[in-house]
Amino acid sequence: MSRKVCIIGGATTPFDYGPTGFESIEGGAAECIRETQQDVPEFSLRDLDLMIYSHFSVHFGHQLAPEWIIHDHLGLVGLPHYRVENGGNTGGSALYAAALAIMSGQHNVVGITGWETMDSVSQSQGSEFIAMASDIRYELMVGGIYPIYYAAMANKWMKENKVTEEDVATISVKNKNNAMDNPKAQWYRNEHRYITVDDVMNSRLISYPIKKYDCSLMSRGVAFLLVCSEEYAKKVNPDHYVTVDGMGLSSCTIRAGDRLNNPGWSKRYGPGYPGMTEFAACRCSAEQAYKMAGINDPLKDIDFGEIHDAFSTSEAQIYKALGLADEHTIAKFIRDERTSLQGDIPMNPGGGLLGYGHPVGATGLMSTIECYYQLAGMIPQKHLSRKTEVSDPECGIVNSHAGTGTSISNFILRRH
Amino acid sequence: MVETVVVKNKKEKFADIPVFSEKKEYRPYGVQETGLAFVGHEISEDRSSMNQFLHYDQLYTIRHGWNSKFFIGLLDGKIMGTRCPKCGDSWVPVRTHCWNLNCNLQKTEWMEMPLTAKVHTWTVAGWSGRSSLKRLPIILVYANIGTSKVAMANELHGLDPWDVEFGMPLKIVFKPKEQRIGAVNDFHFEPADSWEPLPMNPEKERIKKLVEPVYEWVKTLK
Ligand SMILES: [Zn+2]
Repeated sequence: MSRKVCIIGGATTPFDYGPTGFESIEGGAAECIRETQQDVPEFSLRDLDLMIYSHFSVHFGHQLAPEWIIHDHLGLVGLPHYRVENGGNTGGSALYAAALAIMSGQHNVVGITGWETMDSVSQSQGSEFIAMASDIRYELMVGGIYPIYYAAMANKWMKENKVTEEDVATISVKNKNNAMDNPKAQWYRNEHRYITVDDVMNSRLISYPIKKYDCSLMSRGVAFLLVCSEEYAKKVNPDHYVTVDGMGLSSCTIRAGDRLNNPGWSKRYGPGYPGMTEFAACRCSAEQAYKMAGINDPLKDIDFGEIHDAFSTSEAQIYKALGLADEHTIAKFIRDERTSLQGDIPMNPGGGLLGYGHPVGATGLMSTIECYYQLAGMIPQKHLSRKTEVSDPECGIVNSHAGTGTSISNFILRRH
Repeated sequence: MVETVVVKNKKEKFADIPVFSEKKEYRPYGVQETGLAFVGHEISEDRSSMNQFLHYDQLYTIRHGWNSKFFIGLLDGKIMGTRCPKCGDSWVPVRTHCWNLNCNLQKTEWMEMPLTAKVHTWTVAGWSGRSSLKRLPIILVYANIGTSKVAMANELHGLDPWDVEFGMPLKIVFKPKEQRIGAVNDFHFEPADSWEPLPMNPEKERIKKLVEPVYEWVKTLK
């Protein structure tokens, strides 16, 4: 049996678009580590034996190998470092890499620093940069940007699952309103208002059925997560550590249209699956994580989650891929508000990408950090109130998601 | 003792160097490669914060290599697909090796696809990347072309955005030859001649309501 992987701390800068007070990536990284040290005073930078950097696009950063600037700035010269890049699942993939490093016994204390500075270009230019992670030979030139691909997938999924525009709008309302309790969230810092389903329905068309308020935010932000062996966790933070009991990582086609009739998936899940509607890599990586963590019924065994709501529609699709509902129950599952803070499996109490923001390389780390805070009982000190605290959670799921569902990871975290 | 080895034969080339005899330039006016240049800055009133503007232009060469036949086909008004001689699967967008693991990366054969397709799924875009804003609203469909096992994304023209339907039959229409550039926007989809839209319904009304402000917004673009 391999070694246990623990999370003992982490923090983000505020996520924002434009000036945040944390303009330099190396300064932001330093402040995230300082906040972690306030929570875990026994943790010293000298204890790190590996730093993994989580960053999506140098197009946004106007600097190749920008992790070298951060690493140097943190005074970590000599410490091994490398960067993980895996689209929107960069943060999840970096956590996967850190966990492997601990499990193997090669490393004991691994930091992960993630960031993105998407406001260094205009919004529409930014959309085009992100779209360069589609197959540019075939998709970029036909008006293709990610919301359009997601809309085409969601439109068919919603019809097949009898989920309405209003249904998915409730997800956006939930996450953005959760973010109103989170001072680091971009929605709190900018729009700063509680919204209704009508607000979502009346917001500008992005690509039918997705409107402006169904979309996550382009962001600037940095995050730091501290991952370690159980031995180290017991030494420096014995009362507030969580264990990564399950993890999974899976992949799907880069072009969503290539998922029809794909022989790999047909063999595993039957002909026709996933089509252009289901996130097969989410289902597959969740199955791996559930098996590893001994989860038989995710709805019963998992208390809450921080999942990759790049769009309100994708959060709904993820519910199904995680096995929380099927085609017959998904619409009711959403309408019964099972994932609100009053529901039996709250999702994105931290605000999610829709509310907290989506600085790609930092996003999966932000989700993990929020999940960690809930399990470690730190919400009262990190959020503005206890309104967004999940009551007595023992088990949370973290989900990180890339491309059009092209790479997806899931992690099961448990309170120790 | 050091032995001298005389290399008599030139190293064999991995591939013949193609002779590029047909060249075309359709660079929009004003596009040039200036490389990296700092082009300005701004400083806050209290002089505590500075932003600097870096301009970076780069000309890329996309070497299509073994995929070239597809893009050359576009210039000729043809949709070229590939087909696996072992399992028979065929594709547009093309694969030069079969996706079926049982076929063990079997090299595929080129085939010309018919200029017909069928909508798999669709969306109506009211926002897009910088280079597409003026064409909004755009109907984007994923459609299976000919016998292709996969669906390809492209724009659907020739109907009101609210009239697009799942499963509708399409034809492929190319731009006039002199406007083609060997990219996927050399063609678009249009409804097949036999197709008639369904009458208005609540969903169509909803889409109509959502796209009307988009038409107005596009008029305000320079
Ligand atoms: Zn084959």
